[in-house]
Amino acid sequence: MSKFKTTRRGLLKGSAMTAALAGTAVIFGPWRHNHVLAQGQKKSIKLGFTCDASGQYGNSGQDDLRGARLAIDEFNAKGGVLGRKIEWITADTETTPATGSRVAERFITREECGFLIGAVHSGVANAITQVAAKYGTIYLNTNSSAPSEAGENCSRVKFVWDGNGTNFSKAAVRNAVNSIGKNWLLLTNDYVWGHTTSESTRKQVEAAGGKIIDNLLVPQNTRDFTSYLLKVQQSKPDVVATAVGGDDIKALRTQVAQLKLDGKPAWINNQQDWPDIWGAPESLFGVFGTTWYHKLKLPGVEEFVKRWQAANKGGPIPVPGNVSYNGYVATRELLRSIERAGTTNNIAVIKQLENMKNTAADRMQHHDAFMDPVTHQVQQTIYLARRNPKPVDDTDYYEIVGQSDPSSVLDDGAPGKCKLVPHEQVPTYEL
Amino acid sequence: MLLDLLPHLVNGLTLGLLFALVALGFMLIVGLMEQINLAHGSLFALGAYFALVIVGGERSLSPWIGDAWYAVPLGVRYAVALIVAPIVVAVIGMGVEVLMRRTYGKDPLFGLLLTFGIALVIEEAIRGVWSTRDYVLQTPSGISGGFIFNDLIWSTYRFYAAGFAAAAIALVWLFIEKTPYGAVIKAGAHDNEMVRALGINLSRLRLFVFAFGTLLAAVAGIILAPIWGIRPHMGVDAVVPAFLVIVLGGIGSFWGAVIASLLCGMLVGLTGAYASEWSLLSIYLLLIAVTAVRARGLFGKKSLLEN
Amino acid sequence: MLPSPKASPYLVTPAIAIVLLLLATVPFWIERIGLYPYLGVEILIWSIYALGFNLLLGYTGLPSFGHGAYFGIGAYAFGLAQFNLVPNLWVCLLVAVLAAALAGTFVSLFISHRRGIYFALMTIAFGQVFWFISIKWHSVTGGEDGLLKIRRLPADFGVMQFDLSSSNYALYYFVLVAFALVLIGLWRLVNSPYGRILQAIRQNETRVTFLGYSVWWFKVSIFTLSAAISGFAGALFAMAQTSAFPDVMSLHHSGYIVMMTLVGGGLVSFWGPVIGVFAFLLTRDLIGAFTTAWMFWFGLFFVLIMLFKPEGIAGLLRDVKNGLLARFSAPTPTPVRERGN
Repeated sequence: MSKFKTTRRGLLKGSAMTAALAGTAVIFGPWRHNHVLAQGQKKSIKLGFTCDASGQYGNSGQDDLRGARLAIDEFNAKGGVLGRKIEWITADTETTPATGSRVAERFITREECGFLIGAVHSGVANAITQVAAKYGTIYLNTNSSAPSEAGENCSRVKFVWDGNGTNFSKAAVRNAVNSIGKNWLLLTNDYVWGHTTSESTRKQVEAAGGKIIDNLLVPQNTRDFTSYLLKVQQSKPDVVATAVGGDDIKALRTQVAQLKLDGKPAWINNQQDWPDIWGAPESLFGVFGTTWYHKLKLPGVEEFVKRWQAANKGGPIPVPGNVSYNGYVATRELLRSIERAGTTNNIAVIKQLENMKNTAADRMQHHDAFMDPVTHQVQQTIYLARRNPKPVDDTDYYEIVGQSDPSSVLDDGAPGKCKLVPHEQVPTYEL
Repeated sequence: MLLDLLPHLVNGLTLGLLFALVALGFMLIVGLMEQINLAHGSLFALGAYFALVIVGGERSLSPWIGDAWYAVPLGVRYAVALIVAPIVVAVIGMGVEVLMRRTYGKDPLFGLLLTFGIALVIEEAIRGVWSTRDYVLQTPSGISGGFIFNDLIWSTYRFYAAGFAAAAIALVWLFIEKTPYGAVIKAGAHDNEMVRALGINLSRLRLFVFAFGTLLAAVAGIILAPIWGIRPHMGVDAVVPAFLVIVLGGIGSFWGAVIASLLCGMLVGLTGAYASEWSLLSIYLLLIAVTAVRARGLFGKKSLLEN
Repeated sequence: MLPSPKASPYLVTPAIAIVLLLLATVPFWIERIGLYPYLGVEILIWSIYALGFNLLLGYTGLPSFGHGAYFGIGAYAFGLAQFNLVPNLWVCLLVAVLAAALAGTFVSLFISHRRGIYFALMTIAFGQVFWFISIKWHSVTGGEDGLLKIRRLPADFGVMQFDLSSSNYALYYFVLVAFALVLIGLWRLVNSPYGRILQAIRQNETRVTFLGYSVWWFKVSIFTLSAAISGFAGALFAMAQTSAFPDVMSLHHSGYIVMMTLVGGGLVSFWGPVIGVFAFLLTRDLIGAFTTAWMFWFGLFFVLIMLFKPEGIAGLLRDVKNGLLARFSAPTPTPVRERGN
């Protein structure tokens, strides 16, 4: 409310309405906050981190925050952005959409955050996006891997920094039909993300000449997978592709590991988040996806890991994983985009983000990455990994078995489903 | 075709026994004290967490335990955890009973709501101490892993857990039916004035029943932890099925609860195989169907909770 | 045993008028005290929800632990009506209320012959069924992604139109009017003969039957009404969030409304639920800004209330008021504690 120049249209509507209701002075007038700054001092830029601290993704949310903070500290050490210091604030979104809405409203209207960052759960991300789109606030969805985020739920103010279920299944399925076998069984979590991901897997398998022999639906909050594992053994597929996430994949992992079922059949899982795996390496099974790994043999990775560790001594997880990495990269690119735009005007920053291109070295990944201006999802290298049989230390859980460059794992369905509103229709503001 | 069905029947049976174990402590308190203890789930969780701390696993969990303890074989640590953790939880359970005393004689709703609040506080405390992340309870190799039977790999631990559950049910039943203490407890539920008149300390009796019930909840937590995982809201996984099973079987009926557990286990196991999307919802639907026909559940007797 | 209430002949008591006037001034000072208008909107919406909920718990003695389902159904129905029927505010609100009422009637037909613990458990079971449907039927509800892009439709009165989408202040006033209507409507309801029978049912069902009333019919009707009001609140919430999600139907959220109502003193006071909502949401926002353990403290507070003062905050306030009255006035016989002052 206070600091933002809303569009003329919005302001007029609002004033007219309240004048009609109250019959008195326009509400927005006398109560606009006036920050009188000391001469020459520039106001800081405030970032709002809508990260989960409790609920299913509490761990990941906090890891997300750790990566983001590293990026902020790096920029502040160089004098901030546009000569202005960067401040940040965070609140627990509780893995709950209703809380996400409230936190977003609070950050924008009370805390005057110019940019919102952070999400793991797609529902929370969507709730925040609805609020952000209302005010024109730029929102970075750092870690939700729902294909709908880049598809029907895309938004001009939202940018997605994680690979989604379709990217990962494309990366994993491509060669597996020929190299492992043609009979596939799908395990699908019975909600939107699961279905979308499994659909993509099915298309890939059938295009490569394979066959889906069965698709078992797994309701959300399933704790006991014995009946599924028995069916898997009875059906004798060559490959089992799981589109199971959240708490359910953790239970499945433990139970598969206990049975030592990993190996025959081959298992292909979707993305695994580092905070979810930390502490239980023996439960890793099958082949799974990730956007980054702390032991990649690439320039810059070791230094980044050291910097992250120095900033997070004594934390619950000793090395950064994909979640923290996504948070770091997203925040860093946002700050760079503001620099390139030369202003905090949200439309200008959006345009810079839409044209974002990173070299592989800059990203610490194998391939260059870029922002798709049509879907607002970052197209990046997708890695496939499995449990490391010969770890060099006790954090070396993964063995990277392959990497795909972004153009080969494109989510083809997304651009058709994504309809972004034109730039002119987004409320503008400038901090 | 039938041969394909057999493993799922066995699975359903083991699942049913596990449900019964989870519901055991809850059932005792409801049946014998006619108090609903919604904190059952959180105490279930506490049992698992305490066992985790005792067994060790990750150094960060129990920094005060020296290296000497980790040198002790896992089997011994696990056995110690299985004994000590439930006792600690039972002490906490006695604390809960003391708090509950204010609600005796009032509408049972107050007891329900008080334990709901206590459950919430315990769950938040767990989250504060151990954070939101998942933990894994290690089990001795003798009862872990899998074995092959009939061309299928089965989980050894699951059968151990189911066997443990069966033994626990039998022991509790023996205790209630065949020992003088059990007789006193049953009498106290039936007519507590008479019990007092006979010179038995009723409040001590109630304390004991509560302690016993919560001890069983903790034991269930430790046994189920390797299957269901350890996280702060794991209590909900326990208390909702326990509640369902008790009402389905009928409040006040020991064997009603056991049979209801087996029924639910079979239902989840079979739907898991043939209509997996309905596996979790099926028990709710069963409950609604049964109570529509027989309001008191399968074997329920009229109880104080009905008034 | 609560004393029987004296029926109030007034449509609007001084208390109601003062509270509404106070709430009307909120947008002028809410930012000064460090809060924000969306919070005000949320508090009013949940107050409507809690008032509807308390019809069951406080007045009729029926504990519903699955009430989030009706709130959620109202939210989804509002959005779906907007997309598939006609984007007219009144029509969509009506559809939401009817959908929630229908669900409430359906459930209450199954469970109205029960009470107490059995009743509570069945409400949980049905709540879970509805939650499950909202996740599974994602082609209609959007599943965990939510039903998005719900618009705040303009309030069109024919002669003039108010745009609710331009700012949270506009929505706040609309919700305030809704709150006022629900408040006054329910005040009249609980002070009517119908309301008195509800309270009688709470005290002793059998005696009410002996008096010749059909207890079952009263339970079904009040459950339907309670669900309808919760659905109405849900529809308003869909406008506030401009989306609808399944999370409000979860067991956790259904538990929150029980806690709020009890802490506020819904068992003894008409205002109890509203007080509870204010306490809960303000604590959440203010203390939640400092620590993620705020729920622990609130839960502790709830336990203490249940142990020592089941009459909740309203009861505490009443004690204070009576204490002050006793001190500063001539000795009079202790007045009969009236409900809903």
